[in-house]
Amino acid sequence: MNNPVSRRSILGKVSVAVVGLLVAPAAKVAKAAVQQVFVSPGAPKSYDPTKHKWRMAIDANRCIGCGLCAEACKKENHVPEGPYFRTWIERYIITKPKPGSAEARGEVLVDCRDGGMHGPPESPVPKEEVQHSFFVPKLCNLCEHSPCVQVCPVGATFDAPDGAVLIDPKYCIGCGFCIQACPYGCRFLNPLTKTAEKCTLCYHRITIGLKPACVEVCPTQARIFGDLKNPVTDDPLQQFYQNNRVQSLKPHLGTEPRVFYAGIDKEVR
Amino acid sequence: MRRLLKMPPQILRIFLLAVGIVTTYMIARYFLTPPSFGQYGWYRGEALVELAERPLVYAGKQACEVCHPDAYQKLMKHEHKTLSCEGCHGPGEAHVKDPRKENIDKSGFAACLRCHEANPSRPKWQKQIVIKSHYTGSKCTECHVPHMPSEVP
Repeated sequence: MNNPVSRRSILGKVSVAVVGLLVAPAAKVAKAAVQQVFVSPGAPKSYDPTKHKWRMAIDANRCIGCGLCAEACKKENHVPEGPYFRTWIERYIITKPKPGSAEARGEVLVDCRDGGMHGPPESPVPKEEVQHSFFVPKLCNLCEHSPCVQVCPVGATFDAPDGAVLIDPKYCIGCGFCIQACPYGCRFLNPLTKTAEKCTLCYHRITIGLKPACVEVCPTQARIFGDLKNPVTDDPLQQFYQNNRVQSLKPHLGTEPRVFYAGIDKEVR
Repeated sequence: MRRLLKMPPQILRIFLLAVGIVTTYMIARYFLTPPSFGQYGWYRGEALVELAERPLVYAGKQACEVCHPDAYQKLMKHEHKTLSCEGCHGPGEAHVKDPRKENIDKSGFAACLRCHEANPSRPKWQKQIVIKSHYTGSKCTECHVPHMPSEVP
């Protein structure tokens, strides 16, 4: 029998088809059952992340260091007590150079007591010795090329289409690679959930049309928030871009931060 | 098929093991990949929804206006118009849901000092006071109206 179509081969093919027909629907049902675990019931679907492009900007000229933003962030996002902050305020004090040293600048002192939450402490140097001093609010820089996203081994952190860099707490294994990778120190490991956390631009607020908590409470409009895809009339973000010379932090690292700062000194890292 | 079976047995075993591992992986991948994975990129699209579902703590200035339009109007006319109600009165979502006097901060002089206490790091345009020489033992509100700072009580 050199006939290629033997009885054995036909029977074999038919049996494979029958098994396939039986297994495929069963597998689909099983898959649906397993994936119930991943779907959160009753989730609002009205928000489309592809129709927004959120941006934050910092006008350090306007920051008075009151710390309302850091406090609001902690309360809004239930950030645990202790040295954990999604946003914080650094105080820079640049002292006058020593007499006769022929230097332009003296020492650079940076401090951040309690993340600046309760306002600035007393100045460590007397007023006469301060050459220049200012506050810099810090938060996630929302990098275009985020090192934290690149290093995550499980794909738990990602650059959302609306411009927020987010963490999926169900995927995060708490390895801490991203915390080391972030050159701006914007991430921390939550001691309660054991997952990495960072500024989400108050994702639960911006998706329902509110401002992030820090922007909401800022008394001097040092924090500017807006949507590049849906600018409003007299958009504060567009005005900020028009009226300021902006810069980003650590541009030499090539992370391309999307948070722009105005009014910061060269000492700010 | 014939040729495959003619493989040296040690190679065949390794080959079957590899096939087994790959098959197990494919089956696991089929069942365990969340449905929204790849919706926007190499991550779970559902995570965005979950992050957006978190409850509010700060209600926002517009929520205060609904019940306190008079205070809101006063505030918006004067120098303190850029301030948020919740900056001085504390987070207000609980108060919005259940308006009671107990679940909102009455606010006091600490809220004033937070921004107006003199500090050399503060910008020059910010109005600042040195408590020791300015504060005379009375409340800030005896001389200043927080909702209308340019008015005299």
